[in-house]
Amino acid sequence: MKRNLRVLQRMIAAEVAQQSIYRGAWVIFMLANICTPIISLLIWRTALANGARLPVDQRYITTYFVLLGFATMATSSWMAGFLANDIRLGKLSSWMIRPASLLIGFVANNLSEKFLKLFALVPMIGLVWWIFRDSMNVPAGAGRWALFFVTLALGAILVFTIDILIAAFAFWMDDVSALVQARVIIGSVLSGSVVPLALMPEWSRGFIDYQPYRYTVSFPVEIVAGNLSGSELLTGLGVQLGYVVAVGLLARVVWAAGIRAYSAVGA
Amino acid sequence: MTHSHAISALDLTKTYTFHQQRAGLGGALKSLVKRKYETRLAVDRVSFTIDPGEVVGLLGPNGAGKTTTLKMLSGLLYKTSGELEVLGYTPSDRKPDYLRRIALVMGQKTMLWWDVPAMESLLLHKEMYGLSTPEFERNVAELAELLDVQDLLNVQVRKTSLGERMKLELMAALVHGPEILFLDEPTIGLDVVAKARVRTFLAEVNRLRGTTILITSHDMDDIEALCSRVMIIDHGRLQFDGALDELVRTAQPRKLVRATYATAVDASRLTGVSSVEVSGLTVRLEADRERTSDVLEQLTRLGPLVDLDVADADVEDIMRDLFERRGEAS
Repeated sequence: MKRNLRVLQRMIAAEVAQQSIYRGAWVIFMLANICTPIISLLIWRTALANGARLPVDQRYITTYFVLLGFATMATSSWMAGFLANDIRLGKLSSWMIRPASLLIGFVANNLSEKFLKLFALVPMIGLVWWIFRDSMNVPAGAGRWALFFVTLALGAILVFTIDILIAAFAFWMDDVSALVQARVIIGSVLSGSVVPLALMPEWSRGFIDYQPYRYTVSFPVEIVAGNLSGSELLTGLGVQLGYVVAVGLLARVVWAAGIRAYSAVGA
Repeated sequence: MTHSHAISALDLTKTYTFHQQRAGLGGALKSLVKRKYETRLAVDRVSFTIDPGEVVGLLGPNGAGKTTTLKMLSGLLYKTSGELEVLGYTPSDRKPDYLRRIALVMGQKTMLWWDVPAMESLLLHKEMYGLSTPEFERNVAELAELLDVQDLLNVQVRKTSLGERMKLELMAALVHGPEILFLDEPTIGLDVVAKARVRTFLAEVNRLRGTTILITSHDMDDIEALCSRVMIIDHGRLQFDGALDELVRTAQPRKLVRATYATAVDASRLTGVSSVEVSGLTVRLEADRERTSDVLEQLTRLGPLVDLDVADADVEDIMRDLFERRGEAS
């Protein structure tokens, strides 16, 4: 574990050095990342201004969409396709013969890219925040903010673990790109990245509240934007932790079985 | 199985299961509904032992099972059956202590980070293998000198030539001082100068560090330069295991003799020889090993000798003949 952390630290440093070459790309990525929530925000605010009756108010909608860009970036993972490719083409072999976690390169890549994206994203969110500062919910105490960051971290682990699980199917399947694409589409809707889950129909409430994707993006944002009670917070945190452990265990089992089936193509 | 051997394999077997699909749209549609699965025996009850410090060549035609064997030995693949022990470990367990004692270099795969200098990858290996700073610096200095890559360590890997990259790959693989080095086609694609450098380096590593080396290569010069022992795998079976010169003697029991004379000679007077060819003032023939001295005596009496050359058949030719014969027999 200690050795893996030292390796991770070294890899993150190298990844940051390597990726800082593409600083222009990060600005464009983050502009795209923040554009969709801002457009959604303007549409929903217009709807509210024209008398639309929604189960949430304007302050909720505004806070939700201002924070959404940050939450989706912080919890995102783009690993599944790359990892599946490494499995399919036998590139995993060069990691398997070294005494470190096979996924450490992907963790380093994820963390270093997010670190660099922060430099582009935070000023953009700061600007939007300043523009809409009078119509946002800002929790008074530090507790909710702390919980926001903890649940974001857990959400990031959950998304990353789901990606491992999907990529692991490449040990048996020739192509998992359809699975990866399905995960992206389903995830963007069910995580609340397209429409706030609070606006989903009443009949879907039970499913929407307890499905795993809520805990990847929506739940952390709801902690700041909404008025979740103490018990709702605790229940949500418990469900999120449960998903992290359950998906983690499942990914571990599938991955271990996959390694046994690995054919190390082309090496 | 005994731990005094570096590697022990007993009836080592590996099978692959794959589905067959006919070419074209029809085949693709048919495979959507019904797939025909087949099992292929890649390695078939192979048994051998390798002692510490040995340099062994694993030879065979494409698809013979040599790379699959190497993958099982290095822990990349699970065996289907049989017993396998490397340095007292079961390779497929991939225990960190085991992985710290071996290295695998694949001629067509890279361990180096492409966009950063090789030193970054070496520093990564320092952490992975838990090397102390003095140990790391000593190993880097020694390997860089042996490979003559001191000036390349801080150059982006993508900007190095293929030969330079292979030298850096070898350096990355050996920086932790592995006891066993598995090499899969380490000189593939390299020019003659780079190949010679890699061979000299590997021989030095074996001599200085006592590293056990198991190498697969299609380049017989690699095998001749490095290996005292060869194992030939064909159709998944171990067909030969012994010294290289023993292989030459077994496969080609005749010596090749070439004699050049100052004047024309009558080669028909020679006895106990075969495949006699006369070209101008040069006579080429084959002679049984046991009769070589008698044939040489005859050649000296035949006329005024200018040059005389006695050689074994080229190993590459022997291997080609061997594989072709087996291919026809199967």
